[in-house]
Amino acid sequence: MSEINNDIVLEIKDVYKSFDHLDVLQGISLNVNRGEVVAVIGPSGGGKSTLLRCATTLERVDSGRIMIGGDVLCEDKDGRAVYCDKKREKEIRSKFGLVFQNFNLFPHFSVRRNITEALIHVHNKSRAEAETICLELLDKMDLREKADSYPCNLSGGQQQRVSIARALATNPEIIFFDEPTSALDPELTKGVLTVIKELALEKMTMVIVTHEMSFARDVADRIVFMDGGVIVEEGPAYDLITNPKQERTKAFLAGY
Amino acid sequence: MENIVSTLIQLGQGFKFTFGIFGFTLIFSIPLGLLVSKGRMSKIFVVSLFFRVYISILRGTPLMLQLLLVYFGPYYLFGVNLGSIQVGPFNYRFLATIIAFSLNYAAYFAEIFRGGIQSMPKGQYEAATVLGFSKMQTYFKIIMPQVVKRVLPSVSNEIITLVKDTSLAQVLSVAEMFTAASAAASRQVSVVPFIVAGAFYYGMNLIIEALLNGVEKSMSYYS
Repeated sequence: MSEINNDIVLEIKDVYKSFDHLDVLQGISLNVNRGEVVAVIGPSGGGKSTLLRCATTLERVDSGRIMIGGDVLCEDKDGRAVYCDKKREKEIRSKFGLVFQNFNLFPHFSVRRNITEALIHVHNKSRAEAETICLELLDKMDLREKADSYPCNLSGGQQQRVSIARALATNPEIIFFDEPTSALDPELTKGVLTVIKELALEKMTMVIVTHEMSFARDVADRIVFMDGGVIVEEGPAYDLITNPKQERTKAFLAGY
Repeated sequence: MENIVSTLIQLGQGFKFTFGIFGFTLIFSIPLGLLVSKGRMSKIFVVSLFFRVYISILRGTPLMLQLLLVYFGPYYLFGVNLGSIQVGPFNYRFLATIIAFSLNYAAYFAEIFRGGIQSMPKGQYEAATVLGFSKMQTYFKIIMPQVVKRVLPSVSNEIITLVKDTSLAQVLSVAEMFTAASAAASRQVSVVPFIVAGAFYYGMNLIIEALLNGVEKSMSYYS
Protein backbone atom coordinates (compact mmCIF):
# COMPACT_ATOMS: atom_id res chain seq x y z
CA MET A 1 0.00 0.00 0.00
CA SER A 2 1.24 3.44 -0.82
CA GLU A 3 0.96 6.37 1.52
CA ILE A 4 -2.59 7.20 2.49
CA ASN A 5 -3.48 10.69 3.40
CA ASN A 6 -6.68 10.58 5.39
CA ASP A 7 -7.63 14.03 4.30
CA ILE A 8 -7.68 13.08 0.65
CA VAL A 9 -11.01 11.45 -0.09
CA LEU A 10 -10.53 11.15 -3.83
CA GLU A 11 -7.26 10.79 -5.61
CA ILE A 12 -7.15 10.57 -9.38
CA LYS A 13 -3.67 10.31 -10.81
CA ASP A 14 -2.65 10.44 -14.44
CA VAL A 15 -5.79 8.77 -15.72
CA TYR A 16 -6.18 7.90 -19.39
CA LYS A 17 -9.31 6.60 -21.04
CA SER A 18 -10.22 6.11 -24.66
CA PHE A 19 -13.25 4.70 -26.43
CA ASP A 20 -12.19 2.88 -29.58
CA HIS A 21 -9.80 5.46 -30.97
CA LEU A 22 -11.26 8.48 -29.26
CA ASP A 23 -9.06 9.69 -26.42
CA VAL A 24 -11.50 11.06 -23.88
CA LEU A 25 -9.25 11.45 -20.86
CA GLN A 26 -5.61 12.26 -21.50
CA GLY A 27 -3.77 12.33 -18.23
CA ILE A 28 -6.13 13.68 -15.60
CA SER A 29 -4.95 14.18 -12.04
CA LEU A 30 -7.23 15.52 -9.36
CA ASN A 31 -7.26 15.34 -5.58
CA VAL A 32 -10.28 16.17 -3.49
CA ASN A 33 -9.89 16.78 0.21
CA ARG A 34 -12.39 15.94 2.88
CA GLY A 35 -15.10 18.57 3.12
CA GLU A 36 -14.13 20.12 -0.16
CA VAL A 37 -16.56 20.95 -2.96
CA VAL A 38 -15.07 20.74 -6.42
CA ALA A 39 -17.02 21.82 -9.49
CA VAL A 40 -16.01 20.46 -12.87
CA ILE A 41 -16.94 22.70 -15.78
CA GLY A 42 -16.18 22.70 -19.47
CA PRO A 43 -17.67 22.20 -22.91
CA SER A 44 -19.63 19.07 -23.83
CA GLY A 45 -17.39 16.26 -24.96
CA GLY A 46 -14.54 17.57 -22.86
CA GLY A 47 -14.44 14.44 -20.70
CA LYS A 48 -16.22 15.67 -17.55
CA SER A 49 -18.85 12.95 -17.42
CA THR A 50 -16.37 10.26 -18.42
CA LEU A 51 -14.13 11.31 -15.55
CA LEU A 52 -17.05 10.97 -13.17
CA ARG A 53 -18.02 7.61 -14.62
CA CYS A 54 -14.47 6.34 -14.22
CA ALA A 55 -14.34 7.50 -10.61
CA THR A 56 -17.64 5.74 -9.88
CA THR A 57 -16.65 2.37 -11.40
CA LEU A 58 -19.07 2.69 -14.32
CA GLU A 59 -16.17 2.87 -16.75
CA ARG A 60 -12.73 1.28 -16.58
CA VAL A 61 -9.75 3.55 -17.10
CA ASP A 62 -6.94 2.44 -19.41
CA SER A 63 -4.17 3.62 -17.15
CA GLY A 64 -3.69 5.62 -14.01
CA ARG A 65 -4.61 5.37 -10.39
CA ILE A 66 -7.86 6.04 -8.55
CA MET A 67 -8.27 5.99 -4.81
CA ILE A 68 -11.52 6.64 -2.97
CA GLY A 69 -11.83 6.94 0.79
CA GLY A 70 -8.45 5.33 1.37
CA ASP A 71 -9.16 2.32 -0.84
CA VAL A 72 -7.36 1.90 -4.12
CA LEU A 73 -9.77 1.19 -6.95
CA CYS A 74 -7.07 0.88 -9.56
CA GLU A 75 -3.34 1.18 -9.62
CA ASP A 76 -1.04 1.87 -12.53
CA LYS A 77 1.23 -1.04 -13.46
CA ASP A 78 3.52 -0.42 -16.44
CA GLY A 79 1.07 1.93 -18.08
CA ARG A 80 -1.99 -0.24 -17.54
CA ALA A 81 -4.61 0.19 -14.87
CA VAL A 82 -4.92 -2.85 -12.62
CA TYR A 83 -8.20 -2.98 -10.74
CA CYS A 84 -8.81 -4.28 -7.25
CA ASP A 85 -10.85 -7.44 -6.74
CA LYS A 86 -14.66 -7.48 -6.91
CA LYS A 87 -15.08 -7.58 -3.15
CA ARG A 88 -12.95 -4.50 -2.62
CA GLU A 89 -14.71 -2.78 -5.49
CA LYS A 90 -18.03 -3.37 -3.79
CA GLU A 91 -16.65 -1.90 -0.57
CA ILE A 92 -15.48 1.12 -2.50
CA ARG A 93 -18.95 1.56 -3.93
CA SER A 94 -20.30 2.00 -0.45
CA LYS A 95 -17.95 4.93 0.06
CA PHE A 96 -19.39 7.17 -2.60
CA GLY A 97 -22.77 8.22 -3.89
CA LEU A 98 -23.63 9.18 -7.45
CA VAL A 99 -26.42 11.49 -8.55
CA PHE A 100 -27.29 11.11 -12.22
CA GLN A 101 -28.42 13.72 -14.67
CA ASN A 102 -31.55 11.66 -15.38
CA PHE A 103 -32.10 10.66 -11.73
CA ASN A 104 -32.35 6.94 -12.57
CA LEU A 105 -34.76 6.32 -9.74
CA PHE A 106 -36.37 2.88 -9.73
CA PRO A 107 -39.84 3.60 -11.14
CA HIS A 108 -41.47 0.50 -9.65
CA PHE A 109 -40.40 1.40 -6.11
CA SER A 110 -41.97 4.06 -3.93
CA VAL A 111 -39.79 6.96 -2.84
CA ARG A 112 -39.33 5.22 0.49
CA ARG A 113 -38.19 1.98 -1.10
CA ASN A 114 -35.89 3.76 -3.53
CA ILE A 115 -34.03 5.05 -0.49
CA THR A 116 -34.23 2.06 1.84
CA GLU A 117 -33.69 -0.84 -0.56
CA ALA A 118 -29.89 -0.61 -0.69
CA LEU A 119 -29.69 0.07 3.05
CA ILE A 120 -31.56 -3.12 3.80
CA HIS A 121 -30.24 -5.44 1.11
CA VAL A 122 -26.70 -4.16 0.61
CA HIS A 123 -25.80 -2.59 3.94
CA ASN A 124 -27.74 -5.09 6.07
CA LYS A 125 -29.57 -2.47 8.09
CA SER A 126 -32.81 -3.41 9.77
CA ARG A 127 -36.00 -2.14 8.20
CA ALA A 128 -36.59 0.15 11.18
CA GLU A 129 -33.11 1.65 10.93
CA ALA A 130 -33.50 2.14 7.20
CA GLU A 131 -36.89 3.82 7.69
CA THR A 132 -35.43 6.23 10.22
CA ILE A 133 -32.60 7.20 7.89
CA CYS A 134 -35.05 7.55 5.01
CA LEU A 135 -37.46 9.84 6.82
CA GLU A 136 -34.63 11.97 8.17
CA LEU A 137 -33.33 12.50 4.65
CA LEU A 138 -36.78 13.17 3.24
CA ASP A 139 -37.27 15.82 5.92
CA LYS A 140 -34.04 17.38 4.82
CA MET A 141 -35.20 17.32 1.20
CA ASP A 142 -38.57 18.72 2.23
CA LEU A 143 -40.26 15.66 0.75
CA ARG A 144 -41.50 13.73 3.75
CA GLU A 145 -45.08 13.74 2.55
CA LYS A 146 -43.93 12.07 -0.69
CA ALA A 147 -42.52 8.98 1.02
CA ASP A 148 -45.19 6.71 -0.41
CA SER A 149 -45.43 8.35 -3.82
CA TYR A 150 -43.93 6.81 -6.92
CA PRO A 151 -41.29 8.66 -8.95
CA CYS A 152 -43.66 9.11 -11.90
CA ASN A 153 -45.88 11.28 -9.70
CA LEU A 154 -43.10 13.67 -8.72
CA SER A 155 -41.73 16.67 -10.57
CA GLY A 156 -38.23 16.45 -11.99
CA GLY A 157 -36.89 18.56 -9.17
CA GLN A 158 -38.50 16.33 -6.58
CA GLN A 159 -37.19 13.23 -8.31
CA GLN A 160 -33.69 14.63 -8.29
CA ARG A 161 -33.94 15.42 -4.58
CA VAL A 162 -35.08 11.85 -3.95
CA SER A 163 -32.08 10.60 -5.86
CA ILE A 164 -29.83 12.83 -3.75
CA ALA A 165 -31.44 11.34 -0.65
CA ARG A 166 -30.84 7.86 -2.08
CA ALA A 167 -27.17 8.69 -2.64
CA LEU A 168 -26.83 10.12 0.89
CA ALA A 169 -28.60 7.24 2.62
CA THR A 170 -25.58 4.98 2.79
CA ASN A 171 -23.57 7.74 4.45
CA PRO A 172 -20.90 8.03 1.75
CA GLU A 173 -17.63 9.86 2.15
CA ILE A 174 -18.05 11.65 -1.15
CA ILE A 175 -20.89 12.38 -3.53
CA PHE A 176 -20.56 12.81 -7.26
CA PHE A 177 -23.11 14.83 -9.19
CA ASP A 178 -23.30 14.42 -12.95
CA GLU A 179 -25.01 17.57 -14.23
CA PRO A 180 -27.73 17.30 -11.58
CA THR A 181 -29.89 20.08 -13.00
CA SER A 182 -29.38 19.62 -16.75
CA ALA A 183 -32.53 17.55 -17.21
CA LEU A 184 -34.69 19.97 -15.23
CA ASP A 185 -36.84 22.87 -16.28
CA PRO A 186 -35.20 26.12 -15.14
CA GLU A 187 -37.79 26.78 -12.44
CA LEU A 188 -37.13 23.36 -10.90
CA THR A 189 -33.36 23.69 -10.59
CA LYS A 190 -33.53 25.98 -7.59
CA GLY A 191 -34.70 23.39 -5.10
CA VAL A 192 -31.99 20.96 -6.17
CA LEU A 193 -29.26 23.59 -6.04
CA THR A 194 -30.45 24.69 -2.60
CA VAL A 195 -30.13 21.14 -1.31
CA ILE A 196 -26.58 20.87 -2.69
CA LYS A 197 -25.71 24.21 -1.10
CA GLU A 198 -26.92 22.95 2.25
CA LEU A 199 -24.76 19.85 1.87
CA ALA A 200 -21.78 22.09 1.13
CA LEU A 201 -22.44 24.00 4.36
CA GLU A 202 -22.44 20.67 6.20
CA LYS A 203 -18.98 20.02 4.74
CA MET A 204 -20.04 17.12 2.59
CA THR A 205 -17.28 16.23 0.15
CA MET A 206 -18.64 16.67 -3.35
CA VAL A 207 -17.58 16.65 -6.97
CA ILE A 208 -20.12 18.38 -9.17
CA VAL A 209 -20.12 18.39 -12.94
CA THR A 210 -22.26 21.37 -13.84
CA HIS A 211 -23.14 24.01 -16.39
CA GLU A 212 -24.48 26.36 -13.72
CA MET A 213 -21.60 28.82 -13.53
CA SER A 214 -22.94 31.09 -10.82
CA PHE A 215 -23.82 28.06 -8.73
CA ALA A 216 -20.31 26.67 -9.20
CA ARG A 217 -18.81 30.02 -8.25
CA ASP A 218 -20.93 30.34 -5.10
CA VAL A 219 -20.89 26.78 -3.83
CA ALA A 220 -17.62 25.20 -4.93
CA ASP A 221 -14.34 25.74 -3.14
CA ARG A 222 -12.46 24.90 -6.26
CA ILE A 223 -13.32 24.78 -9.94
CA VAL A 224 -11.72 22.53 -12.51
CA PHE A 225 -12.06 23.49 -16.16
CA MET A 226 -11.78 20.52 -18.50
CA ASP A 227 -11.53 20.53 -22.25
CA GLY A 228 -10.18 18.05 -24.77
CA GLY A 229 -9.61 15.39 -22.13
CA VAL A 230 -7.27 17.44 -19.98
CA ILE A 231 -7.61 19.82 -17.06
CA VAL A 232 -6.91 23.16 -18.66
CA GLU A 233 -7.11 25.23 -15.53
CA GLU A 234 -8.09 24.88 -11.92
CA GLY A 235 -8.25 27.19 -8.99
CA PRO A 236 -10.35 28.75 -6.25
CA ALA A 237 -13.91 29.01 -7.52
CA TYR A 238 -14.35 32.74 -7.40
CA ASP A 239 -10.99 33.48 -9.00
CA LEU A 240 -11.43 31.04 -11.84
CA ILE A 241 -14.84 32.38 -12.80
CA THR A 242 -14.03 36.06 -12.45
CA ASN A 243 -10.43 36.01 -13.54
CA PRO A 244 -9.55 33.00 -15.69
CA LYS A 245 -5.93 32.72 -16.78
CA GLN A 246 -6.12 30.45 -19.79
CA GLU A 247 -7.47 31.54 -23.16
CA ARG A 248 -9.67 28.43 -23.49
CA THR A 249 -11.20 29.07 -20.10
CA LYS A 250 -11.86 32.68 -21.00
CA ALA A 251 -13.46 31.71 -24.29
CA PHE A 252 -15.64 29.12 -22.57
CA LEU A 253 -16.77 31.43 -19.79
CA ALA A 254 -17.49 34.22 -22.28
CA GLY A 255 -20.35 32.04 -23.52
CA TYR A 256 -22.15 32.32 -20.17
CA MET B 1 -81.34 -31.45 -27.17
CA GLU B 2 -79.88 -34.85 -26.52
CA ASN B 3 -77.29 -34.08 -29.15
CA ILE B 4 -76.30 -30.85 -27.46
CA VAL B 5 -75.90 -32.54 -24.09
CA SER B 6 -73.77 -35.35 -25.45
CA THR B 7 -71.77 -32.85 -27.49
CA LEU B 8 -71.13 -30.83 -24.35
CA ILE B 9 -69.99 -33.94 -22.50
CA GLN B 10 -67.66 -34.98 -25.31
CA LEU B 11 -66.21 -31.51 -25.68
CA GLY B 12 -65.86 -31.28 -21.94
CA GLN B 13 -63.75 -34.46 -22.06
CA GLY B 14 -61.65 -32.91 -24.80
CA PHE B 15 -61.36 -29.66 -22.91
CA LYS B 16 -59.34 -31.40 -20.21
CA PHE B 17 -56.65 -32.11 -22.79
CA THR B 18 -56.92 -28.65 -24.30
CA PHE B 19 -56.43 -27.12 -20.90
CA GLY B 20 -53.61 -29.55 -20.16
CA ILE B 21 -51.73 -28.61 -23.33
CA PHE B 22 -52.31 -24.95 -22.56
CA GLY B 23 -51.19 -25.14 -18.93
CA PHE B 24 -48.14 -27.34 -19.39
CA THR B 25 -46.98 -25.34 -22.40
CA LEU B 26 -47.07 -22.13 -20.37
CA ILE B 27 -45.31 -23.72 -17.42
CA PHE B 28 -42.46 -24.99 -19.59
CA SER B 29 -42.20 -22.41 -22.36
CA ILE B 30 -41.93 -19.29 -20.22
CA PRO B 31 -38.84 -20.35 -18.22
CA LEU B 32 -37.41 -21.95 -21.35
CA GLY B 33 -38.06 -18.74 -23.25
CA LEU B 34 -36.18 -16.81 -20.60
CA LEU B 35 -33.19 -19.14 -21.00
CA VAL B 36 -33.35 -18.91 -24.78
CA SER B 37 -33.46 -15.10 -24.62
CA LYS B 38 -30.42 -15.16 -22.33
CA GLY B 39 -28.63 -17.42 -24.78
CA ARG B 40 -29.66 -15.24 -27.69
CA MET B 41 -28.15 -12.21 -25.91
CA SER B 42 -24.95 -14.06 -25.00
CA LYS B 43 -21.70 -12.28 -25.73
CA ILE B 44 -20.23 -15.62 -26.81
CA PHE B 45 -20.78 -15.71 -30.54
CA VAL B 46 -21.44 -19.45 -30.96
CA VAL B 47 -23.95 -19.46 -28.13
CA SER B 48 -25.84 -16.49 -29.50
CA LEU B 49 -25.69 -17.95 -33.02
CA PHE B 50 -27.10 -21.26 -31.81
CA PHE B 51 -30.09 -19.59 -30.21
CA ARG B 52 -30.55 -17.26 -33.13
CA VAL B 53 -30.85 -20.29 -35.42
CA TYR B 54 -33.12 -22.02 -32.90
CA ILE B 55 -35.49 -19.06 -32.82
CA SER B 56 -35.38 -18.63 -36.56
CA ILE B 57 -36.30 -22.23 -37.30
CA LEU B 58 -38.94 -22.61 -34.60
CA ARG B 59 -40.65 -19.40 -35.66
CA GLY B 60 -40.12 -19.99 -39.34
CA THR B 61 -41.73 -23.40 -39.73
CA PRO B 62 -45.31 -24.54 -39.03
CA LEU B 63 -46.08 -25.67 -35.52
CA MET B 64 -48.02 -28.54 -37.06
CA LEU B 65 -44.86 -29.75 -38.78
CA GLN B 66 -42.94 -29.46 -35.52
CA LEU B 67 -45.58 -31.53 -33.75
CA LEU B 68 -45.26 -34.28 -36.35
CA LEU B 69 -41.48 -34.15 -36.21
CA VAL B 70 -41.32 -34.47 -32.43
CA TYR B 71 -43.79 -37.34 -32.49
CA PHE B 72 -42.51 -39.33 -35.47
CA GLY B 73 -38.91 -38.07 -35.59
CA PRO B 74 -37.41 -40.35 -32.96
CA TYR B 75 -38.65 -43.46 -34.78
CA TYR B 76 -38.09 -42.47 -38.40
CA LEU B 77 -34.79 -40.71 -37.83
CA PHE B 78 -33.21 -42.88 -35.14
CA GLY B 79 -35.33 -46.00 -35.03
CA VAL B 80 -36.19 -45.30 -31.41
CA ASN B 81 -39.71 -46.29 -30.51
CA LEU B 82 -41.08 -44.00 -27.85
CA GLY B 83 -44.69 -44.85 -28.60
CA SER B 84 -45.08 -46.93 -25.46
CA ILE B 85 -43.75 -44.30 -23.11
CA GLN B 86 -46.16 -43.30 -20.41
CA VAL B 87 -45.50 -40.65 -17.77
CA GLY B 88 -48.22 -40.79 -15.15
CA PRO B 89 -51.51 -40.41 -16.99
CA PHE B 90 -49.80 -39.02 -20.10
CA ASN B 91 -48.98 -41.08 -23.19
CA TYR B 92 -46.32 -40.18 -25.72
CA ARG B 93 -48.81 -38.41 -27.99
CA PHE B 94 -49.54 -35.96 -25.24
CA LEU B 95 -45.90 -35.63 -24.18
CA ALA B 96 -44.80 -34.99 -27.76
CA THR B 97 -47.47 -32.31 -28.00
CA ILE B 98 -46.22 -30.58 -24.86
CA ILE B 99 -42.59 -30.82 -26.00
CA ALA B 100 -43.32 -29.37 -29.45
CA PHE B 101 -45.56 -26.61 -28.10
CA SER B 102 -43.06 -25.67 -25.39
CA LEU B 103 -40.11 -25.54 -27.80
CA ASN B 104 -42.15 -23.48 -30.25
CA TYR B 105 -43.61 -21.02 -27.75
CA ALA B 106 -40.25 -20.63 -26.02
CA ALA B 107 -38.90 -19.17 -29.27
CA TYR B 108 -41.65 -16.54 -29.36
CA PHE B 109 -41.40 -15.76 -25.66
CA ALA B 110 -37.61 -15.49 -25.96
CA GLU B 111 -37.90 -12.71 -28.50
CA ILE B 112 -40.51 -10.91 -26.42
CA PHE B 113 -38.32 -11.16 -23.31
CA ARG B 114 -35.27 -10.01 -25.25
CA GLY B 115 -37.18 -6.97 -26.44
CA GLY B 116 -38.25 -6.21 -22.88
CA ILE B 117 -34.81 -6.68 -21.37
CA GLN B 118 -33.06 -4.66 -24.05
CA SER B 119 -35.57 -1.83 -23.73
CA MET B 120 -34.50 -1.24 -20.13
CA PRO B 121 -32.55 2.01 -19.79
CA LYS B 122 -28.86 1.53 -19.04
CA GLY B 123 -29.27 3.97 -16.15
CA GLN B 124 -31.27 1.41 -14.17
CA TYR B 125 -28.30 -0.99 -14.20
CA GLU B 126 -25.88 1.82 -13.41
CA ALA B 127 -27.92 3.15 -10.49
CA ALA B 128 -28.18 -0.38 -9.09
CA THR B 129 -24.44 -0.94 -9.56
CA VAL B 130 -23.30 2.18 -7.74
CA LEU B 131 -25.75 1.47 -4.91
CA GLY B 132 -23.91 -1.82 -4.44
CA PHE B 133 -26.56 -4.27 -5.59
CA SER B 134 -25.15 -7.58 -6.83
CA LYS B 135 -25.87 -8.79 -10.35
CA MET B 136 -28.54 -11.16 -9.04
CA GLN B 137 -30.19 -8.48 -6.91
CA THR B 138 -30.15 -6.07 -9.82
CA TYR B 139 -31.72 -8.66 -12.08
CA PHE B 140 -34.45 -9.86 -9.74
CA LYS B 141 -35.26 -6.67 -7.83
CA ILE B 142 -34.70 -3.91 -10.36
CA ILE B 143 -34.76 -5.25 -13.90
CA MET B 144 -37.17 -8.19 -14.07
CA PRO B 145 -40.12 -6.55 -12.29
CA GLN B 146 -39.99 -3.74 -14.82
CA VAL B 147 -39.49 -6.13 -17.74
CA VAL B 148 -42.61 -8.07 -16.71
CA LYS B 149 -44.67 -4.92 -17.00
CA ARG B 150 -43.16 -4.06 -20.36
CA VAL B 151 -43.68 -7.47 -21.95
CA LEU B 152 -47.10 -8.22 -20.53
CA PRO B 153 -49.14 -6.98 -23.51
CA SER B 154 -47.08 -9.08 -25.95
CA VAL B 155 -47.10 -12.09 -23.64
CA SER B 156 -50.89 -11.78 -23.36
CA ASN B 157 -51.10 -11.98 -27.13
CA GLU B 158 -49.12 -15.23 -27.16
CA ILE B 159 -51.17 -16.73 -24.36
CA ILE B 160 -54.40 -16.04 -26.21
CA THR B 161 -52.96 -17.46 -29.43
CA LEU B 162 -51.86 -20.53 -27.51
CA VAL B 163 -55.44 -21.30 -26.47
CA LYS B 164 -56.43 -21.53 -30.12
CA ASP B 165 -53.22 -23.27 -31.22
CA THR B 166 -53.96 -26.20 -28.91
CA SER B 167 -56.34 -27.38 -31.65
CA LEU B 168 -53.27 -28.26 -33.73
CA ALA B 169 -52.70 -31.24 -31.45
CA GLN B 170 -55.39 -32.87 -33.55
CA VAL B 171 -52.69 -33.95 -36.02
CA LEU B 172 -51.31 -36.28 -33.36
CA SER B 173 -54.81 -37.56 -32.57
CA VAL B 174 -54.64 -36.13 -29.08
CA ALA B 175 -58.20 -36.22 -27.83
CA GLU B 176 -58.36 -32.48 -27.24
CA MET B 177 -61.45 -30.41 -27.76
CA PHE B 178 -61.10 -29.76 -31.47
CA THR B 179 -60.61 -33.46 -32.18
CA ALA B 180 -63.72 -34.16 -30.13
CA ALA B 181 -65.64 -31.47 -31.99
CA SER B 182 -64.62 -32.85 -35.39
CA ALA B 183 -65.68 -36.33 -34.39
CA ALA B 184 -69.02 -35.13 -33.02
CA ALA B 185 -69.65 -33.00 -36.09
CA SER B 186 -69.19 -35.85 -38.51
CA ARG B 187 -71.19 -38.25 -36.35
CA GLN B 188 -74.11 -35.85 -36.04
CA VAL B 189 -73.68 -34.44 -39.55
CA SER B 190 -73.99 -31.03 -37.92
CA VAL B 191 -72.01 -27.87 -37.51
CA VAL B 192 -73.26 -27.38 -33.97
CA PRO B 193 -70.29 -29.11 -32.28
CA PHE B 194 -67.94 -26.67 -34.00
CA ILE B 195 -69.99 -23.74 -32.77
CA VAL B 196 -69.95 -25.16 -29.26
CA ALA B 197 -66.18 -25.68 -29.50
CA GLY B 198 -65.82 -22.09 -30.68
CA ALA B 199 -67.79 -20.95 -27.63
CA PHE B 200 -65.47 -22.97 -25.38
CA TYR B 201 -62.34 -21.40 -26.87
CA TYR B 202 -63.83 -17.95 -26.74
CA GLY B 203 -65.05 -18.43 -23.17
CA MET B 204 -61.62 -19.56 -22.08
CA ASN B 205 -60.01 -16.58 -23.73
CA LEU B 206 -62.51 -14.20 -22.14
CA ILE B 207 -61.49 -15.48 -18.73
CA ILE B 208 -57.80 -15.26 -19.62
CA GLU B 209 -58.26 -11.73 -20.92
CA ALA B 210 -59.93 -10.72 -17.68
CA LEU B 211 -57.11 -12.27 -15.64
CA LEU B 212 -54.41 -10.61 -17.71
CA ASN B 213 -56.17 -7.27 -17.54
CA GLY B 214 -56.20 -7.67 -13.78
CA VAL B 215 -52.47 -8.36 -13.71
CA GLU B 216 -51.81 -5.40 -15.98
CA LYS B 217 -53.89 -3.18 -13.74
CA SER B 218 -52.02 -4.37 -10.65
CA MET B 219 -48.84 -3.05 -12.25
CA SER B 220 -50.26 0.26 -13.38
CA TYR B 221 -49.32 2.08 -10.19
CA TYR B 222 -46.21 3.36 -11.95
CA SER B 223 -45.36 4.35 -15.48
